Amino acid sequence: MPAQIYSDGNQHFACSQYGPKWPGPDGDRITILLALLKELPVGTINLNGFDEHLEFTPSVALQEIIKAGTNWGVKGDASFYLHTHQSDYIVALTDSEDEPNWPPFDSLEYDFQVQRQLQHQWTVEVEGVSQGAYVSQAQHMLSIPSRLGLKAQIDKGQAVWPPRQLNATGQRIDSASKQMTESATILTWTRLSAAGAPSEFSGRAPILDGVSTVLVQFEEGPKGVFMLADDELGSPQIGGKVYFEIRRLYGQDGMMHYGLKAVLSNS
Amino acid sequence: MVDVAMVGAGQTKFGNHPLGLKGMWAEAIEKAIQSVDHGFESKDVEEAFIGSIAFGGSQLGNTAALLTEHSGMEGVSVRRVENACASSGFALRDAWMAIKSGQADVVVAGGIEKMNDLSTSRKRYWLGVSGDTEWERLAGLTFPGTYALTARRYFHEFDSTHDDLVHVSVKNHMHGFENEVAHLRKQVSFEKAQSGFMVADPLTLYDCCPTSDGASAVLLVADHLAHQFTDTPVWVKGSGAGSDHLALHDRPSITQLRATQSAATKAYKTAGITANDVDLAEVHDCFTIAEVLATEDLGFTPRGLGGKFARDGEGRRNEGSVTINASGGLKSKGHPLGATGTGQAVEIFKQLRHEVEPNRQVRDAEVGLTHNVGGSGATCAVHVFGRQK
Repeated sequence: MPAQIYSDGNQHFACSQYGPKWPGPDGDRITILLALLKELPVGTINLNGFDEHLEFTPSVALQEIIKAGTNWGVKGDASFYLHTHQSDYIVALTDSEDEPNWPPFDSLEYDFQVQRQLQHQWTVEVEGVSQGAYVSQAQHMLSIPSRLGLKAQIDKGQAVWPPRQLNATGQRIDSASKQMTESATILTWTRLSAAGAPSEFSGRAPILDGVSTVLVQFEEGPKGVFMLADDELGSPQIGGKVYFEIRRLYGQDGMMHYGLKAVLSNS
Repeated sequence: MVDVAMVGAGQTKFGNHPLGLKGMWAEAIEKAIQSVDHGFESKDVEEAFIGSIAFGGSQLGNTAALLTEHSGMEGVSVRRVENACASSGFALRDAWMAIKSGQADVVVAGGIEKMNDLSTSRKRYWLGVSGDTEWERLAGLTFPGTYALTARRYFHEFDSTHDDLVHVSVKNHMHGFENEVAHLRKQVSFEKAQSGFMVADPLTLYDCCPTSDGASAVLLVADHLAHQFTDTPVWVKGSGAGSDHLALHDRPSITQLRATQSAATKAYKTAGITANDVDLAEVHDCFTIAEVLATEDLGFTPRGLGGKFARDGEGRRNEGSVTINASGGLKSKGHPLGATGTGQAVEIFKQLRHEVEPNRQVRDAEVGLTHNVGGSGATCAVHVFGRQK
């Protein structure tokens, strides 16, 4: 589990595996919050002004990301209040509106220059002129249960993912409702240099010494391709297992796009 | 039914071309017309099919009308055909069908792409527009990535290693070295190709085709007109096309291209031949692994033995069972996306008429084949050509 999580009664805290000062190459307060929510029983949260602490606007409303990625709900009179540390990348869920006492977290050693380069690159991507594939906000919303929640359609008893429209007999396939297993087996993988990566990722690829992508198969049958997160902590192998976390994918047109990334099960 | 004859064929040099779209297209048409033995005039053309992705977007709409306007074909019925890298393979098929159906007697099929006058980031963007944007590309994949996934899986499933791909690269550079219209006219040693810069692991720079400018065109006529134009037409004996899921992850297998298999089956059937009858094939080696798969999917070697086929030198000019990519293929001749399919047909036209440079000639070539793939295998057009009807 890449996020560090600490619970004390009705107070739950999380920061990235890298420590409070850096959320990792593709992390931020949103991804840390989602990792925390996934570890807790489903409930409701009050965002409590969380938006003010975000570096970039998400391409899809935060409550939609939370709902699709974790099944949690967002309400004004929720059972948990969301807090974020003023300077560190730590989030908390508590039953009080008052700021909690922040616990200490461990930090991994990391290259500060890489951190600065990546943070700069994210800003360049989000604020720069788009040269990437264009998937509209509306299109992201249409597929968000499948994209963030791994919900599959069912057609003639078979799981279908990513979502499709009509089947071979011309009948419309029902909307995605079957929850797929949130782990999968690697069928093949590659590591892309900047020269081999799409323009959305070509700025970060040289900083990260390449970006990795895996083609995986779910227990239910469907296959999918995912970028690999935290791959500096291990190498993919055909037949190896991955699980999935929501991370930053790319920035475009002033917004940050989030999606599922694969994480090696042994990392 | 009407038979279809190719009476002329021409292309620009592939590579960094100094001319723009209009100039390159005019040059390809000019050369195609000059290749017609008894003369040909642009105004005789009834229909034109021009393949292009309109790379860079400089003339995204009405591309074909602009090009024909600048090649003396004003007023002709014209359209752009787009199926990614298979655009002009499908333009050729559409032209063939127009004549077969009896709707036209004199038709132009061609293709064009201008790729090297763009900024690096804009070029990277356009190189990825033909993949599955929503699910594949946002997982970090453009075509180097998809073919790298295929290559690694192929090595896992079959008795093959990256060295087999190196053999493909070395062969195609050797073939292209003598080709005057090739983009990369240089021989590459096995050791150099083995240790190239890693683009998408396990594919190195020497596994990837270049991005090229270029235009190509062929002139097709109905059989009853063929001998007005030449005494040695090349007959388009068969045509087939197929498609498959756009994204790799939706396909039952990623180590075979069902679109190729389907297209080849139809092309062989319409031509009345089998793979054993083919003397030379121009196959779509956008990445070296693609040639390995093509030799299997086209039936030149059984499934799983494409790596061995390359290792044993089976595709070398005048050495193996069938010459694969006598032109140098996409790897050496170059890959101006929309121009590639009809560029392959230009090579077959010249080979079957014994008009290539003397040391490039495939001996006793009677039957040739072209194989043009769109993207990572979503679309494919296969054509069979012969010296005899």
